[in-house]
Amino acid sequence: MSAAAAQAQAKNYLTALKDALHEEMERDPNLVCMGEDIGILGGAFGVTEGLLDRFGPLRVVDMPISESAIVGAAIGLAMRGKRVVVEMQFIDFISCGFDQIVNNAATMCYRSAGKVNLPIVIRGPSGGYGGGGPYHSQQNEAWFAHSPGLKVVCPSTPSDAKGLLRASIRDPNPVVFYEVKELYRKRDIVEEIPDGEFLVPLGHATIRREGSDVTVVTYGNMVHFCLKAAERLAEQDVQAEVIDIRTIVPLDEETIRTSIEKTNRVVVVNEASRTCGFAGELLARISEFGFELLDAPPVRVTRADTPVPWVKPLESAVLPSVDGIFEAAMKVVRY
Amino acid sequence: MNSESSVVAKQTDAVSDTESQSLRTRDQLAPADHLEILRQLYLARYFDVRLIKEKRRGRLRGTLYSSHNQEAILVGTLFGLRPDDWISPIHRDMPAFFLKDMRSGWNNPDRKGMSVAEVCAQVWGKEASPIRARDNWSHIGSLDKGIIYSTSMLAATIPVAAGVAFAFKLDGQDSVVLTYNGEGATARGDFHEGINFAAIHKLPLITIIENNQWAYGTPVELECPTEDVADRAKGYDIPGLIADGQDVLDVYDKTMWAVERARRGRGPSIIECKTFRAYGHGDHDDDRAMRYRDAEEIERGRSRDPISVYKRYLVEAQLLSAEEADRHTPENRDALQVTDDDFPPEVIAALKEAVEFAVSSPLPEAEEAFRWVFAEDAE
Ligand SMILES: Cc1ncc(C[n+]2csc(CCOP(=O)(O)OP(=O)(O)O)c2C)c(N)n1
Ligand SMILES: [Mg+2]
Repeated sequence: MSAAAAQAQAKNYLTALKDALHEEMERDPNLVCMGEDIGILGGAFGVTEGLLDRFGPLRVVDMPISESAIVGAAIGLAMRGKRVVVEMQFIDFISCGFDQIVNNAATMCYRSAGKVNLPIVIRGPSGGYGGGGPYHSQQNEAWFAHSPGLKVVCPSTPSDAKGLLRASIRDPNPVVFYEVKELYRKRDIVEEIPDGEFLVPLGHATIRREGSDVTVVTYGNMVHFCLKAAERLAEQDVQAEVIDIRTIVPLDEETIRTSIEKTNRVVVVNEASRTCGFAGELLARISEFGFELLDAPPVRVTRADTPVPWVKPLESAVLPSVDGIFEAAMKVVRY
Repeated sequence: MNSESSVVAKQTDAVSDTESQSLRTRDQLAPADHLEILRQLYLARYFDVRLIKEKRRGRLRGTLYSSHNQEAILVGTLFGLRPDDWISPIHRDMPAFFLKDMRSGWNNPDRKGMSVAEVCAQVWGKEASPIRARDNWSHIGSLDKGIIYSTSMLAATIPVAAGVAFAFKLDGQDSVVLTYNGEGATARGDFHEGINFAAIHKLPLITIIENNQWAYGTPVELECPTEDVADRAKGYDIPGLIADGQDVLDVYDKTMWAVERARRGRGPSIIECKTFRAYGHGDHDDDRAMRYRDAEEIERGRSRDPISVYKRYLVEAQLLSAEEADRHTPENRDALQVTDDDFPPEVIAALKEAVEFAVSSPLPEAEEAFRWVFAEDAE
């Protein structure tokens, strides 16, 4: 294949998601999409573009601004044998549908003794660095990781975005799916994605860069920050192994353990605030299964315990940086 | 607010836009149907009385939200439904789980309602419960029988019911969903969000409001600013009907009007059933409820027992002789004063068998606590 043809097929993160939705809607006539502005407009970011024309208003439902009703209605549809993809216009607004997610959807399988499965994906744009301020920058996955019965996913690449979304849609459980809006249209993060039945199963981490000196465990946008930090570490002769967990729930502990057995050092990075963020859970698990494997105290890099402020100098001050990750890794390596 | 004159005035109001549709579906009921309605009222009352007594003896775990004095709402709303219709009852509606589709035969195993035995197994917290007693009391459901599983969060089933109704529309099916709520729950955002969505899409969603004047310790005036709770319907441009919640046939007529309208794709309705909570919010509240509500209010609120209101109708309509009406008289009496002699034998037998079944069912094993966090067949 010529370079030009390959180039033409390279997909960005957003197109990968869009393709996944179109293909799954085509494949499964029982799949319904619901959300604010997803039909006529095609979604605030354009992820659902073209769906309404193709599948009509009964399967691509422009919902009123009612996050609780959106999730609640998805539960009702799922009770009638539908699969549902729900869009939160920004993942920050998921708080307005919180009760339906954590008290209703998450517990339904449990409460019904396994009789009711709710194949619902709640997806939406997440994350900071875009100047979105407190309500358009959140990475609030810990709320849902803390609610048994939900799966939580956060892809970092176009092919994972597609493969994980498709797998999430086919999963019989409710899935909260964090899309990194900063990656949606990033020019240097494009990939050729295999056609056809391409799925990335939930619960499997991947190693983004191999290394022997320190393990860096992360997901989402932070994967790219960690890879940049790893390049700088390499200049210092430190070989970092970067693990992208891809799904927060269920967590692939095995890949993390195997890496730490090799490196004996670990840094955990997440974009959310520090206290009770998922990085804390990762550190706790690593301490439980791997305390004796570690040659240095583990370190986490997270957002500060503040909301995400709006203007650039403030936003940069609280969010994780490549520098911060680099320094944390050096500290662990030098211990 | 509970006066009969205001009930009547609103009735005409609410249905002024009717499409020449009958508000007297009752005229199509056969004499046997009427006797069945009476039996169902007896059964609902007997079930409640039995649970009150069991609870007092410390045999049941959790809270009993008595449906005493509110039974006509359950029987009246459920009696005319088709088996393929769906419902979502609330905490106070325990009898609704077995009353649904009871008309298809109390012991008919294929009917689209739970058996009394299953419901008892749930109340007693046993393995034979439809959900293996993993959540308490009214939080049961069945996809097969068209009963939505609810959570504790008041009004949260309205959006879910709207979703089920949307699925009916999507599938071109003319079934309807009845969702039940107290008047207090109408203050929640989910009430608005769910009905708003249903009204936009003209979904077959009927919201039954059991206005028993109290939400735990708060009177309706502090929950709802409109004169009648049904007035909330105006904001959605849907019918807001008011039914006399003590009159099973009035509830039945209003429900059937809304149901037939919904089946024809005309969209949702709200039906406010005016009633009165006989006891405390839950059994834990019985004593305090005697203080925050005065004796006069309680007496007035309980003065129109749904069983006697209905019997009076039956006798006047010559569907029941005065003698038959007096044969069993659990009505107008306190739960602790009625005995088995006050109910017809078939009602006693139905519950006796169910309770025996519940009592003999084992408790679930502790290991089950770790199951079904996620769908298991897919693991
Ligand atoms: C969202 C929510 N808030 C509070 C409660 C606690 N609670 C349970 S029942 C109840 C009162 C409900 O009153 P109403 O809706 O009128 O129904 P009723 O009990 O009178 O039948 C309250 C406050 C709850 N279950 N859910
Ligand atoms: Mg009430």
